[in-house]
Parts: sequence; C-alpha cells; structure tokens
Amino acid sequence: MMRYGINPSLTLLLGCIVGCAWPGAASAAEKARITGLADVNFGQIAGTVDRSIGQSLCVYSTSPTGAYAVVASGSGSGGTFALSSGAAELAYDVLWADAPGQSSGTVLSSGTPRSGFTSNASQHFCNSGPSSTATLTIAIRSAELGSARAGSYSGTLQITITPE
Amino acid sequence: MALVGAIVLGGLPAGQAMSATDGSLGATSTGTVAISASVPTRARITGLSDVAFTNQDPGTPASSAQDICVWSNTATKAYTITATGSGTASAFTLTNGSGTVPYSVEWSDTSGVTSGTALVAGTASAAQASAATNQVCASGPAASASLVVKLGTADLGTMTGGSSYTGTLTLLVTPQ
Repeated sequence: MMRYGINPSLTLLLGCIVGCAWPGAASAAEKARITGLADVNFGQIAGTVDRSIGQSLCVYSTSPTGAYAVVASGSGSGGTFALSSGAAELAYDVLWADAPGQSSGTVLSSGTPRSGFTSNASQHFCNSGPSSTATLTIAIRSAELGSARAGSYSGTLQITITPE
Repeated sequence: MALVGAIVLGGLPAGQAMSATDGSLGATSTGTVAISASVPTRARITGLSDVAFTNQDPGTPASSAQDICVWSNTATKAYTITATGSGTASAFTLTNGSGTVPYSVEWSDTSGVTSGTALVAGTASAAQASAATNQVCASGPAASASLVVKLGTADLGTMTGGSSYTGTLTLLVTPQ
C-alpha cells in the first residue's frame, strides 16, 4: 500500500522558494569604484603659505550602507606622502572627505586604512544621482615650502577603497 | 573587496603629460592623477643686528662681528652676497653730515668667526655655501654666516671727536 505525502526535502525546497535563503547560495561580492579623478598641478609655488588643491570625485560602494574604508600610500621614502625632485623631497598631506566640495577632511596616514566613510552614490560612476560623493585634497604645508629645495617635484599617490 | 585608485603625482619625463584615469568597477580598480609642483630658487637673510661703535678709542681698531642666518634653497645651498653702503656710489662710509669715514666689510659663510673675505661695495662675492636647513635657522644650525664690520685706526683718527657718524649697509643674497 502506497502512501502519498510530502517529501521532507521537498518541503525545505518549497519553503526556501517562498522566503528563506537558499543554503549555500553566495551573496553578490561587494564592490566599489573610484572615478572622477583629475590631474592636479600646483604650478610654481613662490610663497610659503599653505597650498592645497581639492577635487570632488565619485566613490561607489555596493555595501548595504555604502560604507567604505580608504587607504593611501605615497611614493616618498618608506611610502610617505612626499613628492621628489632628485634626492630632495617635499612632503604633503592627503585629506579625505565623504562629501563633495569640501575644503578640508580627514587627514590620512600613508599605508593606514581609515574606516567610517559612506557613499551615497546610486550609480557606480555617478552618472545618475549625486555627481560626486567625496573630496580628495592634497595640501603642501608652509613649513615644508619654507625649507624646500628649488626644483620640479613629482610623486605617486595610490588610494585603495574597500567596501565595509 | 577592494577598489584601488592610484594617483600619480607627476613623475614623468618633461613633455610627457599624464592624464587622470578612472578606476573600473570590480574587486580592484585603479585610477591615476598627475600632480606636479615646482619650487623656484630662493634665499633669505635674517638675524641682522645694528652695529654701534660707541666712544671708540681712535688708537684701537674697531671691529664688530655678528652671526647671521643665510639660507639658500638651491641644490648646493650656494649664494653670493652683495653689500652696498650708503656713501657716494654705494661706498662703505659713515657720515656726520660734514665729513665721511670709510669702513670695511668682511663676510664668512661660517658663523662664529671674527674675520672673513673682504667685500667690495656693489660687487657680488664669490659663491658662498650655507649650512642652514631652515629659512630662519629655527632648526638645524642657529647661524650660517658671519658679518664683520671694521674701522681702522687710520680712519678713526680722521673722525671728529664727540660727533656721531651713521650709515646704512645693505646686504643682498642671491641664490646660486
């Protein structure tokens, strides 16, 4: 005599179709994107007052809250934030704000991740919603300019953004 | 997941411009920005003090040496010094209104000395080298040069007793 009933495993499957998470299913990997970076040219710095140039850019994070961390590394000796002209170096500061159009921000330390930033970008290169979500500022302080050797300086700054 | 943006601060050969590039969406992404800055040659002289020979005995040479700070931001920290007096044709002279008396000026690119190379009014010196690491010697050596002003007995002997002689010495530092 056969009995007809619901297979327990089928019950689980149906239940999952209705509303529970599929066991073993991976959520989409969180991603981020940084766009809108622009060239920066301090030109010839004749005075000895602080000089800074900021730029608004787009940071996008697929984190549910839009949260992300930033870590920056310079190309000075030991990875410091410094421009080079031969053997001479000119230190600079890097500031980050998670809002566009800012004149200041959180001072970053080279190689040290800084958490707690949030992006409200709704599109991964901000072509809809806010056109920019963050401000990157590079500042050369008067104390550095006051003792800087004459010359043309350049260097590299790398910024890594990690969704949180 | 990490997204990487790289900002390149110049670093390219002259004439090879680098343009900013955006990162792409993904586990990592790299963007670049070219940034450049240049610093012109500059020099600075600080720490000067007035010189006064008061009640100077005409039979004794007068000499006043002072430590000063000269800073130059060239690669070699070199500079020249040009001194001009307030006398006729920039001569190193003092006057009491009716008469003049010459003095001499010596320069050394080390501090703490009482003699140096004699300067010619209005003529740049040979290249000097500064040890200063700060514009006003606030750090590093506290002074980097010596200025010496002298009045010889022969000239002191021509001065009118009880009369005040004054003048101005201007020092121009040019980075080299």
